[in-house]
Amino acid sequence: MRPTPYPFSRWSPADNNKFASAEIYFEGRMLMEIMPQEFSSLLEAYPKDRRYALAVMQDMQRQYNYVPREGLEALAEYISRPVAELFSMATFYKSLSLKPKGVHIIKVCNGAACHIRGAVNLVGGIKRIFGIAPGETTEDGMFSMELVNCMGSCALAPVMTVDGKYYGQVKIESLSAIFEALRNEAKP
Amino acid sequence: MIIEIDGKACTCSPGEYLLNIASRNGFSIPTLCHHDGLPGQGCCRVCIVEVSLRDRKDIVTACIYPVEQECSVFTDSDRVKRQRGMILALLRASAPESEEISRLCKMYDAPLYERLTQKANEKCILCGLCVSACETLGASAISSVNRGVEKTVSTPYDEPAADCIGCASCAAVCPTGAISVEENNSSRAIWNRKFTLQLCRHCGKPVGTLDELAFAARKTGVAQTTLCEECRRKAIADEMITAYER
Repeated sequence: MRPTPYPFSRWSPADNNKFASAEIYFEGRMLMEIMPQEFSSLLEAYPKDRRYALAVMQDMQRQYNYVPREGLEALAEYISRPVAELFSMATFYKSLSLKPKGVHIIKVCNGAACHIRGAVNLVGGIKRIFGIAPGETTEDGMFSMELVNCMGSCALAPVMTVDGKYYGQVKIESLSAIFEALRNEAKP
Repeated sequence: MIIEIDGKACTCSPGEYLLNIASRNGFSIPTLCHHDGLPGQGCCRVCIVEVSLRDRKDIVTACIYPVEQECSVFTDSDRVKRQRGMILALLRASAPESEEISRLCKMYDAPLYERLTQKANEKCILCGLCVSACETLGASAISSVNRGVEKTVSTPYDEPAADCIGCASCAAVCPTGAISVEENNSSRAIWNRKFTLQLCRHCGKPVGTLDELAFAARKTGVAQTTLCEECRRKAIADEMITAYER
């Protein structure tokens, strides 16, 4: 029996060419451009010390939905630590991603209660709608799906959050309505 | 303080690590993740021995077990052999390509567990010696990447590492030969990067990579050398011969 691949978005060598710059492109459309000075304001919120590395990376994750390579390198220079050390940290923590994520992040709970009440079916439903598996992002860069372990709302099982908003007792039939509302909302 | 190892009385000072005491007294305990220059990894567990203290007999990891009181140690008892064999069988499953582990497995008659999946094309046991060597040296070009079953040792973004100086210390400390180094007369390739070698200006033997020598010069404040170790020794000897002739 082989170990099942970890379903969360992890960095893998194949991602390198895909996202080489700090600009996020999907289908040739630029979604977000990150200016170097943005990093400096993120960095300067903390003293130049190794122990703030994780906090800065969490801020980057919050700001861009991932830790950009330029950001990691800027942080290494700021706290005078090797890039390798920060890269090791960034790949260690599940809450940090080195790949750009979608505008909306769907988290499907697969804790015991949600699992029993059909979280896997929700994952299947989302896969049918967007064609993405846990850890993947849609081609247009709008949605990313993650499978998480427990969100502490077992009474509402199966639970799903989209951008931190909780949806309880989700049914497969109600999925498309939730996403459609978000997709319309996000249009400028 | 005197402890007894396999019936032989050995002197040691309190707090000294058992592995050091044993090797000083001529006992050979197999190790993988231990390196005298980078102690304290303690993760391969191959160096386990049995320690008898008062009326208890415990299995301890010799490389990180400080001897605090008089005890008797058994480095090759049946219990040690059995458990070491089991540990080696597990290590073999995670690094089946390693010749050193295969050799030890044969030596300790490691059992074959059919339920264990053999990791394909793997030599690394993730002991972390290479990372620790690179960090101690001051280059910090490699680190552990990812976590759990996906953990590997690599350079940032798996690219030719900018911080690497090509000294190949990582490969030198690796117990299983998992890090590939290719070297010819003028260059060395390691971690997907190619380094130019400095050749000894006297005998033409490679001294080290240019980056490595520059790094050493920067760190020590001594001018970059272009002589190999042997020629350097000769040069110093020549200087000493003539030192008092003036």
